[in-house]
Amino acid sequence: MSTIVKARYSSPGGASLARMPKSGTLSYFEIALLAACVGVLVLGIPESFMDVVLLSFLWGGLALAWNIAGGYAGMISFGHAAFFGVGAYTSTILSVDAGLSPWIGMWLGAILAALVGGVLSLVCARLRGPFFILSTLATAEVIRICALNWASLTGGPEGLAIPPVASLASMVFDSKQTYALLMLGYLVLMYVFTKVLEASRYGFYMFAVRDDEDAAGAAGINALFVRTAAMALSAFLTAIGGSLFAQYFLYLDPTHVFSLELSFQFALLPALGGLGTAIGPVLGAFAITPLSELLRSYLGDSVAGLHLVIYGGVVIVVMLYFPGGMAAALNRLAARKGGKGK
Amino acid sequence: MTALLKMEGVGISFGALRAVHDVTFSVEQGELVGLIGPNGAGKSTLYNLMAGALRPDSGRIVFDGRNIAGLKPHHVARIGIARTFQIPKPYRQMSVVENVMLSAMLNERSVSKSRERAAEVLFEVGLESYVDSPVSVLTTGLLKRLEVARALALRPRLVLFDEIMAGLTPSEVKAVTALVASLPGRGITVIWVEHVLYAIMNTARRILVLNRGELIADGPPQQVVRDRNVVSAYLGEEEPADAQG
Repeated sequence: MSTIVKARYSSPGGASLARMPKSGTLSYFEIALLAACVGVLVLGIPESFMDVVLLSFLWGGLALAWNIAGGYAGMISFGHAAFFGVGAYTSTILSVDAGLSPWIGMWLGAILAALVGGVLSLVCARLRGPFFILSTLATAEVIRICALNWASLTGGPEGLAIPPVASLASMVFDSKQTYALLMLGYLVLMYVFTKVLEASRYGFYMFAVRDDEDAAGAAGINALFVRTAAMALSAFLTAIGGSLFAQYFLYLDPTHVFSLELSFQFALLPALGGLGTAIGPVLGAFAITPLSELLRSYLGDSVAGLHLVIYGGVVIVVMLYFPGGMAAALNRLAARKGGKGK
Repeated sequence: MTALLKMEGVGISFGALRAVHDVTFSVEQGELVGLIGPNGAGKSTLYNLMAGALRPDSGRIVFDGRNIAGLKPHHVARIGIARTFQIPKPYRQMSVVENVMLSAMLNERSVSKSRERAAEVLFEVGLESYVDSPVSVLTTGLLKRLEVARALALRPRLVLFDEIMAGLTPSEVKAVTALVASLPGRGITVIWVEHVLYAIMNTARRILVLNRGELIADGPPQQVVRDRNVVSAYLGEEEPADAQG
């Protein structure tokens, strides 16, 4: 990690008033956040909160994976549940039917999802904005319906269950703490990967294609290749999260893992936290996951649906008053304090 | 001297409109050629054909001995043709230096080398005090200079400038003109579309005039401005029309 702590490049010129946040550096805030995450696991917390913690880690990682396509390359997708589900089902089917360890199966699922993502972006090469979004949404729906009806492979609407026999090889564990560690590992890997990507030339290519495709073309950048690679990469990483999800819940059904709700969640977390930033999706996941889980557990029984109303209200307020997401709001706060927060 | 770019009977139509028709000319290595013409003459279409944004219906575009008609824009950029956009197209969410870095990356191995190169080019075009600013602080004139910087950062052999003077103050025009005039000496061939005629007439040794998609004049500035076809294209023959530039 120490190589990333240093600035990847020094910026010439003085600090003018309107300085852009430099990409490729690790701030004290990020280090503190990581320390807090590890601290929570080491010190231990009540078992009842463990679910919220490990789900926050998993969603954070998934939000980062989505953000590579949606935030960095500007390909907003409402269909990432397709990649999530492909990952979850591939590793699960391979382990339940063929006895292949999910540690290997998840990579195969990721490759399959990357192929789906790559083909999707090639087929929809000419679609932009809402038309592209709708095509991603339709792709996920088509895959969901296929999974529902292809019962011999996926178990159909009854779903698939993973035998709850704990062993390292089958990636099934007794303690939630171990799962939390696994999810934290995923989150940290996604985060480091994102930081490396955004400081590399491929990260810049994605930003360029997102901001102006004509200008990117004039700079010698093959926009179609960049878009396809970004989508395939994002799908690959999302599928890994899908496999981890399956190994934690030990049960899969198409209605849940391919659901629209899930696709929206993937897009919502980075949007709330800050699109196209590394810290944004993490902030979004850490704020929203506990909120929605707590609202559901405290209000879900008493007044049906009330937790969704409150959840929706919070989302609207953040979208209205912090269009750049929580990351932008924090940046402004840090700037007001004279850059002390960075 | 050898011809770097040859247009051989290039044409394109949009429906019934012949936007560019049978255009033939060649540009030598190290030349600085002005391309003028009234609004709607087809100058931007011609640029889009050369830069790969459009595929010609007919004719060949030969760059350095190779037919590039129909190549994609990113291919054209990679073989050494840079362009600017008449309406600047900055990457809006990036800083000024990052905008230029993306062009520099075509030839530089690392991100940090690209940044150094971009900073050099920004100094050349006089944007050195905006290196780390977001592009949103740039005025139209400065955005035009950013376009020039991005084109030069590609290390092109041929650069197509499209109205880089529009919106610039007279002193800015002077500075940018001097920069453009220095390019042929550095081995960069220039084709330059401009409505600010005094800048181009005093800088280019050769002017091409396009009207209604056809090339109507090709020669030194003094000769071109007296050409009867050119005068009538700009001013009209019978009824007075608004003069350009």
